Amino acid sequence: MDNLSRNTKLGIFVFAGTFFFIVLLYFIGSKRNLFSSTIDVYARFYDAEGLMKGNSIRYSGINIGTVKNVAIENDSTVLVTMVIQKQVIKYIKKNSLASIGTDGLMGNKLVNITNVSEASETINEGDEFKTLKAISTAEMLKTLSVTNENVRLITDDLKKIASKVNNNNSLWNFLSDTVLGNNLKQAIVSIKLTGDRTAYIAGDFSKMLNDVRDGKGVLGALLVDTALSGKLNQSIVSIKMISSDLAVVSGDLSYITKKVKGGEGAVGTLLTDTEFVHNMNKSMANLNTGTQGFSENMEALKHSIFLRKYFKKKQKEKNPAAK
Amino acid sequence: MVPKVVYEFFDELGMISYFGWRFFKEGIKPRYEFREMIRQCYYVGYKSLGLVALTAFIMGLVITIQSRPTLVEFGAEDWLPKMVSVSLVREIAPVITALICAGKVGSGMSAELGAMKVTEQIDAMDVSGTNPFKYLVVTRVFATTFMVPLLVILADAISLYGGYLGCNIRGVVSWQLYWNQVYETLSYGDVLPSIIKTFFFGYAIGVIGCFKGYYTDKGTEGVGKSANAAVVLSSVMVFIIDLIAVQIIDILNLT
Repeated sequence: MDNLSRNTKLGIFVFAGTFFFIVLLYFIGSKRNLFSSTIDVYARFYDAEGLMKGNSIRYSGINIGTVKNVAIENDSTVLVTMVIQKQVIKYIKKNSLASIGTDGLMGNKLVNITNVSEASETINEGDEFKTLKAISTAEMLKTLSVTNENVRLITDDLKKIASKVNNNNSLWNFLSDTVLGNNLKQAIVSIKLTGDRTAYIAGDFSKMLNDVRDGKGVLGALLVDTALSGKLNQSIVSIKMISSDLAVVSGDLSYITKKVKGGEGAVGTLLTDTEFVHNMNKSMANLNTGTQGFSENMEALKHSIFLRKYFKKKQKEKNPAAK
Repeated sequence: MVPKVVYEFFDELGMISYFGWRFFKEGIKPRYEFREMIRQCYYVGYKSLGLVALTAFIMGLVITIQSRPTLVEFGAEDWLPKMVSVSLVREIAPVITALICAGKVGSGMSAELGAMKVTEQIDAMDVSGTNPFKYLVVTRVFATTFMVPLLVILADAISLYGGYLGCNIRGVVSWQLYWNQVYETLSYGDVLPSIIKTFFFGYAIGVIGCFKGYYTDKGTEGVGKSANAAVVLSSVMVFIIDLIAVQIIDILNLT
């Protein structure tokens, strides 16, 4: 009996030890998602920033998995294999972004999964997340120092502006002048009126344009009537032809004028040779005298015996009633 | 001329090594002493549990209370469970348990075997046809080798509970959060090497305790001497094994 109880005690002792060991191993394993059903997904980073196996994967601030492996893929990228619990994958989209962050200010590294607003399918085994370059503290501080410098310059300027405004009476007068305000109000009313009218005019104009588009009126016909435009085309072609003819004519004319000016030809001589004109005048005078003489001779001939009969007969034929 | 101390050191080292190897040689051979083995396991494991539990609980509590001020200085008070759990599981619980066992079990074995040796019971056993090494040494070494790791696991659990109480003396950490943080922090790389090394602790304690008892001479005076020597040597051995273990763990990168 004593022996049995001793054995029982030992059994309880061994059982307790083994039980606690298994519990310890189980809980550690479950924290690393060794026992829950999971899927593997991937992300490629330029910089792993010290991410290690076993670091957490977070989605909306909740741990949903662990980093399974971090391996250098080539000279510029690091392939991070992540294990994500199956029960949460229905919330995670394929186009989600992965970024490496830090738990707190100095805590462990972790991978943050962020959803983007665009719709997408949920992730599956073997999918790859797009990655975001994480903000490094050094870079942040660098930017912050630039920002600080800018803020300093801006505040300096603001200070100057403020002091100028304070020392300037005209601005205060401007701001405190009530008449000016009234005037401004009126001006705005006028502007509004003008605007209304402009709108009205614009309406008219638009109506007119509509009419034109519909082919109403001369302008409309011009723009819309295709037959008319054909005719117009023809006219223009004719005008063109005429003008080219005219050009030829005017060229000839200019040639003739040149010749005439140079004193060539009869007309030229006529226009330029003053002596010839004088002679001509003389000849004309002679001719005048000659004709007068001839006329007298003819009159005398009418009355001559030999020809009087003929003339009388002619007179009779011409005017039978004169007898 | 080799100094006598050096000669004695290597002589003893060689004898202990042979004694340790003999454990495997004799232990593998059939006719196993199950009944005696279970009795030894009961004494080593169950009977030591109270002492181990008390020291483990106190260590967990004390380490937590001691670590708090430093962490508060860094503003990292909520890291207390993480830090305490790692230091307890990796180092403090195994070593404290091993030292307690070395003191309680190692000295007891050494004294028991020493007394049997000086009263010539071992020789009588040999004459009566019972293999004294198999019956006395193999069972004891087996018991320490397998009971010490179990004690360490229970010590881990109890010391972590002590840590939980320690966290809640000044601050507030809920039961759930505490264990969550503990399991979050611990990895197999923390737990398994620290458990594996305790098998070596137990083996060393058993072998040294039995060796010192088995080769006791100079009558009853020698019994006290060998008990004392067993405790000192096995305690030192625990630390030496710990040193070797931490090197191996570091080389294998099991952190």
